[in-house]
Amino acid sequence: MTQTDRITIFFAWAVGIGCIIFLMLPIVITVATSFTSSAVYTLPPPEWSLRWYKSLERRSGLWDAVQLSLNLALISTAISMVLGTMAAIAVARGDFRGKQAIATFTVSPLMMPGLVVGVAMLQFFREIGLRDAYWSLLLAHVVITLPFVMRTLLASMGAFDFSLIDAARTLGMSYPRAILKVLIPNLAPAYLTGGLFAFLASMDNYPISIFLTDARNKTLPIKMLQYLEEQPDPSLAAMSSGLILMAIVVLVVASRTVGLNRMIDT
Amino acid sequence: MQPKTTEQDQKSHRYLDVVGVTKSFKGTVVMDQMNFRVAKGELVSLLGPSGCGKTTLLRIIAGLLEANTGDIVLGGRNVSSLPAHKRNISVVFQNYALFPHLTVAENVAFGLRARGMSSADVKAPVADVLALVRMDSFADRPVSALSGGQQQRVAVARALVVSPDLLLLDEPFSALDRKLRETMQIELKALLRSRGITAIFVTHDQEEAMGVSDRIAVMSNGKIEQFAEPSVLYAQPASPFVMDFVGLSTRMSGRVTAQADGIATVETGVGAVRAHAGYTVGTMVQVGVRPELITPDPSAEMNQIKVQLNDVMTLGSKTVLHGISSGEDKFLCELSGIRTGYARGETVTWGWAVADTLIHEVAA
Amino acid sequence: MNARSDRIALLAVPGLAFLAVIYALPLLLLLFKSIQGVDGLTLVTYIDFFSDEFNRTVLWRTLRVALLTTLLALVIAYPTAFAMARAKGIWLTVFLVALVLPMSLGVIVKAFAWSILFRSNGFINTTLQTLGITDEPVRMLFTETALVIGAANVFLPFMVLPIYSVIRQLNSSLPEAASSLGATPWFRFTRVTLPLSLPGVVAGSAFTFSLAISMYVIPSLIVGERQQTLSMLIARSFLYLRNEPLGSTISAVLLVIAIFVVLFSSWLAGRLGARQ
Repeated sequence: MTQTDRITIFFAWAVGIGCIIFLMLPIVITVATSFTSSAVYTLPPPEWSLRWYKSLERRSGLWDAVQLSLNLALISTAISMVLGTMAAIAVARGDFRGKQAIATFTVSPLMMPGLVVGVAMLQFFREIGLRDAYWSLLLAHVVITLPFVMRTLLASMGAFDFSLIDAARTLGMSYPRAILKVLIPNLAPAYLTGGLFAFLASMDNYPISIFLTDARNKTLPIKMLQYLEEQPDPSLAAMSSGLILMAIVVLVVASRTVGLNRMIDT
Repeated sequence: MQPKTTEQDQKSHRYLDVVGVTKSFKGTVVMDQMNFRVAKGELVSLLGPSGCGKTTLLRIIAGLLEANTGDIVLGGRNVSSLPAHKRNISVVFQNYALFPHLTVAENVAFGLRARGMSSADVKAPVADVLALVRMDSFADRPVSALSGGQQQRVAVARALVVSPDLLLLDEPFSALDRKLRETMQIELKALLRSRGITAIFVTHDQEEAMGVSDRIAVMSNGKIEQFAEPSVLYAQPASPFVMDFVGLSTRMSGRVTAQADGIATVETGVGAVRAHAGYTVGTMVQVGVRPELITPDPSAEMNQIKVQLNDVMTLGSKTVLHGISSGEDKFLCELSGIRTGYARGETVTWGWAVADTLIHEVAA
Repeated sequence: MNARSDRIALLAVPGLAFLAVIYALPLLLLLFKSIQGVDGLTLVTYIDFFSDEFNRTVLWRTLRVALLTTLLALVIAYPTAFAMARAKGIWLTVFLVALVLPMSLGVIVKAFAWSILFRSNGFINTTLQTLGITDEPVRMLFTETALVIGAANVFLPFMVLPIYSVIRQLNSSLPEAASSLGATPWFRFTRVTLPLSLPGVVAGSAFTFSLAISMYVIPSLIVGERQQTLSMLIARSFLYLRNEPLGSTISAVLLVIAIFVVLFSSWLAGRLGARQ
C-alpha cells in the first residue's frame, strides 16, 4: 500500500463519516426539538418537556389520518405483493420478448414526477366516474408500492434456483403449491425488504395523494403539511419523532430477520 | 546482508532472494524468518495445502502484502520498500483478473500504457505477444466472451508483455478442467523457457507442481519443509509431511527395536520392516515406501508385511491394491497394467527392497 | 415448452394490466390532452408556456437545482461508498443505519427538519456563530443553496446505495492486477476503478436527478413561494389557481423531461453494460 493509497483511504473515511453526520443531523434535530418546552424551535431548548407529545392528543384528525395511512399502506402493499409475485415469476421464468421492457415498466413509477402522476390519475378517475376518495387513493397507492416490491422480487427471483421447484414437483407437489411452499418462503427476505420499502413509501407519499384526497380522507403526510401551514409548533417535531420511532422499530425487526446488509443488496 | 549489484549476482543462484521475512496477522505469526532463493530462469513452485502460507509469500514478494520484517532482493535490487507497481513483478491471478471493461488487446496493453507508452507504440508488442499465445484473432473481443483457457492465455500475455523481472502465478490452472490443464501446463512451460523467464507458481496440486517445476518448495504452516527437484522430493522426502503430500505411499508407524550395521529394524503392526538408517533403539518412527516399488510376490531378502485387501482398482494403465488401514497407516500397492487374481478380503504378502524404505522419526 | 412459456407469461398480465390502466393510460391521456386543441393537434399550450419568461425561469431553475443537487450528492456519495466497501462489523452497521433510517422516514419529516435547521436562530446559524465563523445570522432559508443542501441530504441514500452495491461486487483482484502491472494509484483509479464504478454512478445519478426535478415538498418547505420549481407551479395551478389547462401543460413538460431522463440513463447503462 502506497502513501497515496493511505491518504485516499483516509480521505474516503473522512467524507464517509461526514456523510453519516450529515444524514443523521435532521433526525437528531427533530427529536431534540420535540422535547422543548417552548413554542419556538430554538435549540438548545430552554427546558426539556413532554408537552408537545401530550398536545398530539388534542390534534384534530391526527388519529384518523394515521389510521387511513396505515390502512392504505398495508392493503396496497399486500396487493402489490400478489401482483408483483406473479409478474416477477413471469419475467424470471418466461421466455418471451419484451421481458426486460416489462421489468423496466413496472419499476418506472419511481422515476416519474409524483405530482404529474397524481394529476393524471385525478383527471382519469374523474373521466371514468370514480369519485370515491378512498378507492382512488388505494388504486394510486398500489401504483406507488408496486415498483418497490418488483425491484426486490426481480432481483431475488433472478438469483433463485428454480430447479428447487422442479424437485418439489417430482416429489408430488402441484406447481401452484410448489410456488407457495418453496419459492415464497425462500424469497422471504426479498418480500420483507420490498414490503418494508413499499410500506414506508406509501406512508410517506404526498405528491400523488394530495390530488386524490377529500375533506374526509386525508393521509398523514397531507395532514402534517396542513398542520404546518396552520399551526407550526413543535408538536410537528413530536409527530415526526413518532414516525422516526416507527421507522427504527421497523428497521430493528428487519435487521434481525433479514439483516441490514441483505436489505441493501436489493 | 547488503546485496551486491554485480553481474555475478544476475546469473548466480540468488536472482530472487527472500531474506528473513516474517508476517503476522492479528497477533498470530504465520511466517517466521522465511528464507527462499530462486535462480535466474528457474521455474519454481510453492506447494502446500491451503493455509500453509504459499499465497501469503507470493503476495509479499509481489508487494501486495507487507511483511513485518525481512527483505526481498530481485536481481540485486532491494525491492522491499517499493510499492507493487514499481517492482516490475507481474502476477497472473487465480481468477485471471482480466479487466472486464477492456478488450483483449487493451488488457494486454495495460501494463505498457501504465508505463507511459502511447497507444500507437503499444500496438506492435501487443500483437507480438498475442501471437505468441495464439490469441491474436481475439484482439478486439471483449473478455467476457472468452473461455477459461483463453482467458488464462490473455492473462499470461498481459503479464509477459511488460518484460517482468519475475513472474508470479497463483494457482493459474485450478479453474481449468483436467484435459485443458495438461495442455496449458506444457504450453506455458515452453513459453516461459523460451524467454528465459523466472517464474514462481503457487499450487496445492502436487502433480501440477511436479509437471512444471525445476524445483518445488513444499510448505506447511509458514515453513518450507523441503526445497528440491521433483525427483528428489519423491525419492528422498525430508519429512513425513513431504512424503505424504508429494506422491502416494504405503506407510506405517512403529518403534525401532534393533539397530546394527546401518540397518534399523522397526516393529510395526503388520510385521518387521528394515531400513537403511541409524536410530537409537526405542525411537518412534514412521516408515513408508512408494506403491510402485511394492511387489505382491516378494523374494526372501525383502521387507515383508501381511496385508488384508480392501479394494482392487483396475485403472487400465495400472492396478491399485488397497489394504485395510488402521489409524494413520495406509497400504497401497501399484502394479502396472491389468492384473487379475486379487480379491477383496484376501490376505496377501507385500514386499519391497530394504533400500527403498523411507523412514522418519516422529514425536512419541 | 411453448405452451408452458405462454402460461408463465400470462402471470404478468394482472400486474401489467393494472399498471397500464391506472398508471400509463392516465399519463398518456395527459400528454394527449396537452397537444389537443380546438381543431386538432396543436402545440399552442406549449408555445404559450415557453414564451412566458417567468415559466422559462422556473424551468431553468428546476433543472439547475436538480443538477446541483445531483452533483453535490455524487461528490459526497462516491468517497462514502468506498469507505463503506472497506467498512467491517460495527462500522458497516453504522453506515447502513445512517443510510436506511433516513430513507425510511419520509420527505416531510426531513424537509421540515431542514427548515428548522436553516432558520436564523436555527442550529446551523447558532453553531456558526458559536464557532466564530460568522458574526451575524446568515440568511439560509429561502435560498437556492439551502434547497440544494436539503435536497442532497434527502436523496443522498439513493446516490450512495447504487454506487456502493457496484463497488462491493468489484473483483478485488482487479486493482491488484493493475498495480502489479505497473499502474500508479492515479492510473489505476482512472483506468480501472472509475470506469468499473460508472454503472452505479449512472444509476444513482439518474435516480437522484429525476427525484430532484420532481420534488415538491422539499422546495415548499425550504424556499416557499419565492423561488418556485416546476412541481410547485403545477400544484399552484391545480390547487390554488384552478387553472387546469395550464397545470396539465406544465405537467406534460415535466413528464417529458422525466421520460427523457429514464431513456437516456437506460441507454447509457446499456452502453456501459455492453462492454462488461
